[in-house]
Amino acid sequence: MSSLEIYSPEGIRIDGRRWNELRRFDYSINTHPNAADGSSYLEQGNNKIITLVKGPQEPNLRSQVNSNKGTLTVTVNITKFSDIERSQAGHRNERRTLELQTALVRTFEKNIMLQLYSRTVIDIQIHVIQKDGGLLGAMINGITLALIDAGIAMYDYISGVSVGLYDTTPLLDLNALEENALSSVTLAVVGKSEKLSLLLVEDKVPLDRLESVMAIGIAGSHRIRDLMDKELRLHGKRRVENTSTN
Amino acid sequence: MTIIKKRLSEGLTVTQKVFVRSRNGGATKVVREHYLRNDIPCLSRACDECNEIVVPDAVNELPRFVLSETPLSLKGVGKHYVVVDTNVALQAIDLLENPKCFFDVIVPQIVLEEVRNKSYPVYTRLRTLCRDSDDVKRFIVFHNEFNEATFVDRQKDESINDRNDRAIRKTVAWYSEHLKEHGITVILVTNDRLNREVALKEGLVAKSLPGYVDLLPNCDELKDSIPNMDSSVNIDEDQEARSEFNFPEYYTTSRIMGGLKNGSLYQGVIQISEYNFLEGSISLPNFSKPVLVVGQKNLNRAFNGDLVVVELLAKSEWKAPSSVTLDSEHYNVNENPDDDSGGGAQDSSSVIISDKQRRLLIQDAIQAQKTKKIQPTARIVAITRRSWRPYVGQIASSSVDLQNGRTQNVFVILMDKCLPKIRIRTRRAKELLNKRIVVSLDSWPATYRYPLGHFVRELGEIESAQAETESLLLEHDVEYRPFSKKVLECLPSEGHDWKAPVDLQDADAIAKDPLLAKRRDMRDKLICSIDPPGCVDIDDALHAKKLINGNWEVGVHIADVTHFVKPNTALDAEGASRATSVYLVDKRIDMLPMLLGTDLCSLKASVDRFAFSVIWELDNDANIVSVEFTKSVIRSREAFSYEQAQLRIDDPNQNDELTLGMRALLQLSKKLKQKRLDAGALNLASPEVKVHMDSETSDPSEVEIKKLLSTNSLVEEFMLLANISVARKIYDSFPQTAMLRRHAAPPSTNFESLNEMLQVRKNMSISLESSKALADSLDRCVDSDDVYFNTLVRIMSTRCMMAAQYFYSGAYSYSDFRHYGLAVDIYTHFTSPIRRYCDIIAHRQLAAAIGYESLDLSHRDKQKMEIICRNINKRHRNAQFAGRASIEYHVGQVMRNNESIETGYVIKVFNNGIAVLVPKFGVEGLILAENLTTDFQTLDFVEEEFKLSFRDKSGSSREIRVFDKIKIHVKSILDPITNKRKAQLLLK
Repeated sequence: MSSLEIYSPEGIRIDGRRWNELRRFDYSINTHPNAADGSSYLEQGNNKIITLVKGPQEPNLRSQVNSNKGTLTVTVNITKFSDIERSQAGHRNERRTLELQTALVRTFEKNIMLQLYSRTVIDIQIHVIQKDGGLLGAMINGITLALIDAGIAMYDYISGVSVGLYDTTPLLDLNALEENALSSVTLAVVGKSEKLSLLLVEDKVPLDRLESVMAIGIAGSHRIRDLMDKELRLHGKRRVENTSTN
Repeated sequence: MTIIKKRLSEGLTVTQKVFVRSRNGGATKVVREHYLRNDIPCLSRACDECNEIVVPDAVNELPRFVLSETPLSLKGVGKHYVVVDTNVALQAIDLLENPKCFFDVIVPQIVLEEVRNKSYPVYTRLRTLCRDSDDVKRFIVFHNEFNEATFVDRQKDESINDRNDRAIRKTVAWYSEHLKEHGITVILVTNDRLNREVALKEGLVAKSLPGYVDLLPNCDELKDSIPNMDSSVNIDEDQEARSEFNFPEYYTTSRIMGGLKNGSLYQGVIQISEYNFLEGSISLPNFSKPVLVVGQKNLNRAFNGDLVVVELLAKSEWKAPSSVTLDSEHYNVNENPDDDSGGGAQDSSSVIISDKQRRLLIQDAIQAQKTKKIQPTARIVAITRRSWRPYVGQIASSSVDLQNGRTQNVFVILMDKCLPKIRIRTRRAKELLNKRIVVSLDSWPATYRYPLGHFVRELGEIESAQAETESLLLEHDVEYRPFSKKVLECLPSEGHDWKAPVDLQDADAIAKDPLLAKRRDMRDKLICSIDPPGCVDIDDALHAKKLINGNWEVGVHIADVTHFVKPNTALDAEGASRATSVYLVDKRIDMLPMLLGTDLCSLKASVDRFAFSVIWELDNDANIVSVEFTKSVIRSREAFSYEQAQLRIDDPNQNDELTLGMRALLQLSKKLKQKRLDAGALNLASPEVKVHMDSETSDPSEVEIKKLLSTNSLVEEFMLLANISVARKIYDSFPQTAMLRRHAAPPSTNFESLNEMLQVRKNMSISLESSKALADSLDRCVDSDDVYFNTLVRIMSTRCMMAAQYFYSGAYSYSDFRHYGLAVDIYTHFTSPIRRYCDIIAHRQLAAAIGYESLDLSHRDKQKMEIICRNINKRHRNAQFAGRASIEYHVGQVMRNNESIETGYVIKVFNNGIAVLVPKFGVEGLILAENLTTDFQTLDFVEEEFKLSFRDKSGSSREIRVFDKIKIHVKSILDPITNKRKAQLLLK
């Protein structure tokens, strides 16, 4: 029995949001211009994530050389201090982290025009400074932004969000408390379409509810896409102005 | 640190909630997001602004405005709404629920959260009030924490309680301002004086709870229900009541946490001995035997069933369970409720026991040393969770001052004799004398010998059938109110005219119920039902037919309740919460509404009914060749009573097909029974009796020991077979969440004392190696002089058994599924869906297993199944207790008119009395030493021989041992102190 009402009969969640509201979504791009080719810093709720994109560059390993298309690698670094209690062991080789990396590679492999970057490698590094539920979705958004900053050719934005199910009500963009209490789904959507590039269902979700869960997830992803798009256009405008004055 | 607020969009701001949490001794800082919004409505019908801001929820419904535009108007205040604080909600929840006061109440979210953390039951009651009180009580929850206008930050050096109080005041202030133009005042009701003063200073209207009730027009009748708190109003009057008497203070939380962690303290549920209310025992996982807690100070204000923390006492203080009997009702009867600490003349070291009790305790201690059966003892240092609920009792007449018309302190003696009496304040003491009343507990400060409570309501005269029935239902927590409108709306609209479709292929009928096509038509089978006489809720029927290959087709048909009770309806929720029907001598409390139980589901004779059928092919030795499950339509040919069925089978002139089928069933059932007994099924006994009611006066007229016909066991055997077959099937389909029933093997310690008694007195013993060994050894316990002896041993063994329990299959490993008493590896309840909720779940799971319909999520989810199982186990137990209590009461009424001399058996010997069972009435009672002898000096108790010898009243010496058959003078007396009728047994 949780000591909090996950979703009150009045329709309000633990943190005061309603069922279909996203958390605070703040970000900036080109935060580490000297360390990487593209970078972003993203805060989605209390998730804080730095993403660095290096490449396209020459591969270090022969195995990464593919004459038909570029190779994508993703490294996830969940810091020891990212959770409420400091963890003793690092998360680097945990199964969970490796799974996240694989999921991210698979999501973006299809969206980046890798055929343009044959014989090179694109290396993505993610540093999770603080986590608060819906981590995978936030990482997807962070990568999308950093890739755009790096100028890597993509078909469209990919935006991700998690959705939980409380009894019969779907709840959008779960925080850590909700994520622990509910079964949840993470999905990533390509641009403004209804194409899913990722659907991760790790808990049991009844089949007859899945449709409503996905509907609100897709709507939420579209809202995130619009938020990213708006900011990016402003950013691009500013950059163009800066270069033209120089 | 500074907390940043950030505006996200119009009407939505985010801030951070920061707090420090201690866990495992370390401190952790937690930061959470906290969103503030401006779309939280005030929910008052008078308000016209809030209609603009409301937003629909996930199912597109707008919130309903509940608070009345013309609320109750008070003298000096005018029209008003009420805001309650946490303590008022916690202490006066009964008053809040009272339909005669507290209308238009606003519960701030912060109050609800605090209540939830302190007491979950009160939280649920408060939530229920808000949900169900629409037009009468009008309670709402206002999310003050998420409203931009009412959110308050915690200030530097401000305690969390002060901050929450300020948040509540802010809510009151906001509401006052918001509703000012509509002429509605908002009153803050709080018992915290400081909080009230600050509120008044801020220009708010604040009242204490008694102060508020005083303003109400009907205050006189409500006053008695105000909780009795030590602190607030009556301090002056109680001053003189205090004396040096003090319970030890509880340990602080940190000390307890530390102690539990390093193993110096233990936590467990305390069970007060039913023979001695000053002795409790706690089963702890690390000890093989329960730990004893003896004496009032060591018990330290614990109630039966509380979750407590204990500390072991020094080895020198360990002792054996007392062999003294002591009940709370007659203990210190003459205490004065105003003089709280009891007899003031005693010196400080002996305050807890009167001289007489002390003598007995010393004897006891000697006994303990002699026999070396010492057990570790402990004392209670904290109470983690109270088991308090409303209790039924009556005012102790000796504590009432009849001359006094004003408010006075009186004692209430509770029905449950394991509990202490309760001190309440009432003005109506005289009026309430000789009535059963409901009281609620408020607190038990260390300086009071008895807990403080308050009056809730009266049930009626003592010994009036209605009050007694109601009080025993309340005491066993049985929901007996009529079904609500929402529940009744779930019933088929045709009512009693509902009919099963004549043709299962009929297109119209299939359009109405698409599952109809999956039903099998079995109306041609010769089905009959066999039940107790007068049974109206017939949930099972049978048929048997000879197959061409010489085997038998046997069908068990169970009422298809789940056709009417669909998951996630109000009807289902009500059934799940009641979990079982409760059978009292003069009344039946149904789990499902009458319409279903006694008509639409009941498999009555010569009407078409839906059923869930289990069809076996059995060979001539009753081995299962194949089994099949199907939903069906049946028509019962005949509804027999056990006797009618017996007559029909025994009548050689009847040779029609139905009778032949019944005979076959009887033969098969005998084989099934033999197989079960060979496997080690137990044949236990209970002293249960049946009370016959006089049909005209509906007074109980005679008592009869239940007798069994072979047709009883006919039905029983096939029900067992059906249950086992279904259990296997649903476990196969739902290995994690199948609804099952298990019965654990009894631990050998349970049988220790019985075995010792048997060994010493009869040179017999009960083997516990397996259920088969137990069954065989029970068969061997025969006394050639006394036929009843075997039954007696069976009755006593039954009490040493574990209780069977419902569980879901994921909770135990397969080897623990065993049903010990029936000697089968897996079992469930499937055959009585009208009166048990377990069966309803089994039906749904079976329906899903055979692909009839899909299974509702709640029966596929371990957590939800866990909740359901816990509830049905509890309700099932309560229902049994309630049933027994009802029989006990009615037996008392029967005995009232016939005093008689009966045979009794000694089942336990104490050093100051004996416990006797009288089989004729199924009653059990104590004969205390003072009723055995006049000369206490001659009383000698030899514990090793279970013998009590004394010189009886006529002067001749007598010896009584356990298992002795004795003549007992039985009469029913009304106890003058407790007003409880009970059997008084006297040695003849």
